[in-house]
Amino acid sequence: MDNLFTATIEAVALLIRGDPELWDIIAVSFEVSVMALLIATPPALLTAFVLAYVQFPGRRMMISIFSTLLAVPAVVVGLTFYLLLSRQGPLGEFKLLFTQSAMIIGQIALCFPILVSMGHSTLQAADKRAWETARTLGAKSLRALMTVMYEVRFGLLAAVLASFGRIIAEVGASMMLGGNILHYTRNIPTAIALETSKGEFIQGIALGLVLITLAFVLNIMLHHVQGRGRVSS
Amino acid sequence: MSKDTTHISFGNIHKHFGKRAVLNGVSMELRGGECSLLTGPNGSGKTTLLLICAGLERPDQAELDLGMGMLSWRRSRRSLLDKTVYLHQQPYMFDGSVIDNLGYGLPKNMSRKERQQHIDRGLEWADLAPIADAHAKSLSGGEKQRVALARAWLRNPAVLLLDEPTANMDQVSRQRSYELIQQLKSEGIALLIASHDPAHFISEADHCLALKYGIIHKQQPSDWSVDNIMPLHPNQKVIYGIS
Repeated sequence: MDNLFTATIEAVALLIRGDPELWDIIAVSFEVSVMALLIATPPALLTAFVLAYVQFPGRRMMISIFSTLLAVPAVVVGLTFYLLLSRQGPLGEFKLLFTQSAMIIGQIALCFPILVSMGHSTLQAADKRAWETARTLGAKSLRALMTVMYEVRFGLLAAVLASFGRIIAEVGASMMLGGNILHYTRNIPTAIALETSKGEFIQGIALGLVLITLAFVLNIMLHHVQGRGRVSS
Repeated sequence: MSKDTTHISFGNIHKHFGKRAVLNGVSMELRGGECSLLTGPNGSGKTTLLLICAGLERPDQAELDLGMGMLSWRRSRRSLLDKTVYLHQQPYMFDGSVIDNLGYGLPKNMSRKERQQHIDRGLEWADLAPIADAHAKSLSGGEKQRVALARAWLRNPAVLLLDEPTANMDQVSRQRSYELIQQLKSEGIALLIASHDPAHFISEADHCLALKYGIIHKQQPSDWSVDNIMPLHPNQKVIYGIS
């Protein structure tokens, strides 16, 4: 117990001192996850909108598929893209394996279904009159779409935050696709796994504290935006 | 087409929901400066018909003449969206102030000054100046209806489609909305008002259109009476409250 307490104190000190290696790992984590989220969010929300507002054959099947993809473990996503991106794989010629790009691809695959499913639920629950009112007041389809999304922005923001929470903390896909290369593809979860396996708990605890703090901040933000959504809808 | 000469003919409108035929070959005409009153019991398809006329609901089949000969609904949809404004029974307010809501339908290419002038006209027209900065979602039902009418008026539509415009309103709010609707008619806008309780609008109506079993039956407003409106099903009693 004393060892754990001492290690935690040292981990906090490591963070406060601004240990370059530690903060580099944190920076890689944020760079990769923010980029994945920025790339995935627009098409995912557009997909969610189409699923909520457009009737077409196979729509229900698509909704079921995205719901199923929510439950796919990160390591399975990692394995799938590892096979696709490895030298013998169909995308091997792009030489993306063990790069940040590969990590971003894996994280996009992880957060896309979350964004679609949560976005679809939010948009489906949105008042249909918002779309009809926008259209009857002369808005073209794209503007009406943006209007509806603005009306339910808190629910959509909750989907984005939940997705970010999922991908910043996942270890399976990042480990398999990034290769855990220091100063390049080593992010918080892969670093924790590595340091723990080496018995270097202090850095692991420090990074764990960052993740816990992030989870706490994200949850507060989620709670806040969901609360605001209830008030204004 | 100026509003005074607006003449839109709808023909052969069909709409099914599943196996249920809601509209079964509906035809009607709307003219600028005239008020058509669409009556019928709840569930008779009034709202569906209004949404189709506004270009917001896709019919199974429909034709319309906007002055260029009979065209299919699909080909005329863009023109319908440009020429009509539909008002929900409970108008939807966008998240923002009354000013934001009034400005929503104004053309994007307007200068800031022109935009403000139009909004000011809308505020004055519907007597909304005291609540101009209020959050639109927090307004009362009557205030929302006035904002919706002003928002529609600023669009300068040829046709205004009103769905139960005074439902669930107190007497004062109902009277204010009624006056605004009269003004819209006097400005040459063609009005189609759907109401299951049409007594309030009968004096203003030029035509009475009774929707029965998915078909329109034309009546003269002077001939209108509660007894003339058949219930949705032959064994269903319909009670109209007339004040």
